[in-house]
Amino acid sequence: MGKWKERLKSIFIEEDPLTSINDSEKDSETDSPNTLQSVEQQPLTLQHILDQFDDSADFVHNAYLGDRMHVMYFSHLVNEDRLERDCLPPLIQSENPLKHLEAQSMYKPVSAPKQCVEGILSGMAAIIFDHHAFLLDVIYPASRTVAESETETVIIGPHEAFTEQAYTNLSLIRKRVQSSHLKVIKLAVGEVTKSDVYVLYIKDIANPKFTKDVIKRIQDVEIDAIHDTNMLIQCIDDHPRSVFSQFLTTERPDTIASKLVSGRIVCLMDGSPTAFSAPSSFFEFFSSSDDYYQRWSIGTATLLLRFQALIITLVLTALYVSVTSFHYEMIPENLILTLTESRSKVPFPPIFEALLMETTIELLREAGARLPTKIGQTIGIVGGIVIGQAAVQAGLTSNILIIAVASSAIASFVIPNYVMSASFRLLRFLLIILAGLWGNLGLAIGMAWIVIHLSGLTSIGTSYLSPVAPFEPYDWRDVFLRMPFSMLGRRPSQARSKNKVKLKMRR
Amino acid sequence: MKRKKMPYFMPLLLIMLSLNACGDQRVLEDLGLIQTVSYDLLPSGQLDISVSIPQADPETSSDREVLSAAANSSKEAKMIMSRKTGMLLVSGQIRNVLFGESLARSGLKGHLDALIRDPSISSQIKISVVDGNAGELLRDNYEQHPRTGRYIDMLLEKESQGQTIPKVTLFNFQRDYFDEGVDPIAPMIRKQDSSFITTNGIALFRDDKHVARIEPKDSLVFAFLKGKFREGEISIDLTAPGASKEVVMFSSITSSRKIKVAPGTDGAKKIKIEVDITGSVLEYLGDLKLSNERERRLLEDKVSHYISKRADTIVSLMKEHKLDNLGIGRYVRNRVGFKQWQQMKWREEIPKLEIECSIHVKIKDYGKFR
Repeated sequence: MGKWKERLKSIFIEEDPLTSINDSEKDSETDSPNTLQSVEQQPLTLQHILDQFDDSADFVHNAYLGDRMHVMYFSHLVNEDRLERDCLPPLIQSENPLKHLEAQSMYKPVSAPKQCVEGILSGMAAIIFDHHAFLLDVIYPASRTVAESETETVIIGPHEAFTEQAYTNLSLIRKRVQSSHLKVIKLAVGEVTKSDVYVLYIKDIANPKFTKDVIKRIQDVEIDAIHDTNMLIQCIDDHPRSVFSQFLTTERPDTIASKLVSGRIVCLMDGSPTAFSAPSSFFEFFSSSDDYYQRWSIGTATLLLRFQALIITLVLTALYVSVTSFHYEMIPENLILTLTESRSKVPFPPIFEALLMETTIELLREAGARLPTKIGQTIGIVGGIVIGQAAVQAGLTSNILIIAVASSAIASFVIPNYVMSASFRLLRFLLIILAGLWGNLGLAIGMAWIVIHLSGLTSIGTSYLSPVAPFEPYDWRDVFLRMPFSMLGRRPSQARSKNKVKLKMRR
Repeated sequence: MKRKKMPYFMPLLLIMLSLNACGDQRVLEDLGLIQTVSYDLLPSGQLDISVSIPQADPETSSDREVLSAAANSSKEAKMIMSRKTGMLLVSGQIRNVLFGESLARSGLKGHLDALIRDPSISSQIKISVVDGNAGELLRDNYEQHPRTGRYIDMLLEKESQGQTIPKVTLFNFQRDYFDEGVDPIAPMIRKQDSSFITTNGIALFRDDKHVARIEPKDSLVFAFLKGKFREGEISIDLTAPGASKEVVMFSSITSSRKIKVAPGTDGAKKIKIEVDITGSVLEYLGDLKLSNERERRLLEDKVSHYISKRADTIVSLMKEHKLDNLGIGRYVRNRVGFKQWQQMKWREEIPKLEIECSIHVKIKDYGKFR
């Protein structure tokens, strides 16, 4: 492995635009992985900073007062308006600019070149007057406004979703959890990208052990770049090889607020509109915030419907395959003739037929997800005709299979968490193949494997199948049912909160 | 640590692939799903077996395929039949078994064994005895009912709901056969005018042999004596000789039965069958005024008396043939204890028993007509 790395490096480093960083990495490899270490070792001069930003077209460097004062920033990261109008004129006009700079609190003096470079990178303006450097916070990055969630919509309840801007996201959370107990810890991941990661928890509710664990895991991540929370959780979860996501990701601030209050730890990442909470249980992925905004009976019914959907999306097509190729005895008398009739024109064995249709559906789904909305509609119509009608008329599939495939596809979209529904769509293929090979025996083997695998999973050390295993009947009223709020008196046991009781309302 | 798991998967995958296609794959459209089987006894001693297979292939004009074979055993017959068809004959979808009267009279023991032993055959399949030739009944096409097998199945199902015939599945039959102190029964069907099949009373068995029959008009009375049920209909002709016409029709009948055994010195002495029947009068042609309570009681008594009389004939029929299809023996066995039961020759005791049927009819509703 080591040899390979060296060879790859020797191939790519020549044309690498990050050569300077790589070089500096080589120099400082022994001390620390920090790529910008070299800057720190030099005294802060204008030239050093300018050297760091050579070949940066978006870097602005202006000189004032006869080359005594230099202002440097990235034009797209700062609010240039404010800089030109409010900050620079008084400075230029003042009799003693240095005194002005030192007197005003918004100018932060810096001495280390590293600090200065990082400040510029994060969107501050650097002012160098003679040999004194100051950072001015005029950050105004491009970001979209808070919009409605696209992937996790609710019918009633708040429609806000996180944006790519961590500060916006933090403000959305702070707005919902107005407590001084809400603590935010800032970390950075990505050796090159240095993305900001914020770990949030509520002091006295969250278990400090978990908080420490999450922070340690994030600090231990060594990867050159992380672009999204969903990527981050794959670097820090307990079982990276599992098909299941072990941390719940969401882009809804209200969900995150409820996770915080229930004693879980939440992580945000700058540049990612999703946050994740830990520890997570398998069953959390099936709950939607809608359940809590509706009346409890409707919430319960919806919750149960989702678990049905889980079974349907996993098993229905596989059951069709196993029944039509092995267990004709299972089919009710009235159905069997219809089924035989629809199968009689199909030239393929059931397993092939089912895999064909499932693949088609997956192709459609993937095409729909990638295409622009306007063309996406065409895909819907074309796919609907191909799958719904033509395939049956051409004798490629039986219409009962179409119903099975379609309803398992619909059921997979009922699962509120897209990551989880994708996992199950994949497992469906496994079950179909097992059912085609061994019938119901294969189906049972597959289901057993899934259950065994799930019970082996952990989320930051807690059981993934909580509250089923370990058995916590009190939690069932929140996980499998949605009982009235007066009956949901305790925080989930999985969070291991010291502060267990969450309400004392008697109604 | 996780990497260790990989070797486990590879052999599994290999086994999966190597086991593919072997084994008992039964793809639906290649199967001939036997729906109904009929058994008849040929004079030569061989069995005449027919099966009816519903046809799903839209390209054929016939609704079903009927195959017949004469053989020594049912499985041999299946092999002979399978030579005549392109489909794999399977018995996992059998719903009805028809036994010809000739075969039923000579005993069903071996044939039941073949049915029970085959794990693909459900224990819920219906058993019935055909008055006449079962194969002929099954092979015939009935214009108004395209699939004969299904016609028979629906007929039996629907009629058993109204208690005019008992619902006898393979499970019921074999349990009654193997249980001590009860003899099996089976519904009887019969071909009528080559265009209909009709139920034709109840076949009474002694062990596995069909010996006697209950007429269709008495079959509900038999149901009263056999056990409790809800929902049934009976029409009773109370016309006394020389008097004016009197017919009453009961509907929504709920009936419950109790058997009381008074023990004697050497076994049971007296058996009392108490039946409580409640029902609504849907039709009454006669002189009594049902809104008058006294007259209603009179009608109740009349009907009770009538049913008691019919019940007595059923009991005497069973005594005559030494049968115990009502399961009285089970009550006796429980009453006298198993030791004495074993010493007792129950079948010889039956004709000597004193059986009293006491029937109580109650009219719970008599309609809007006052």
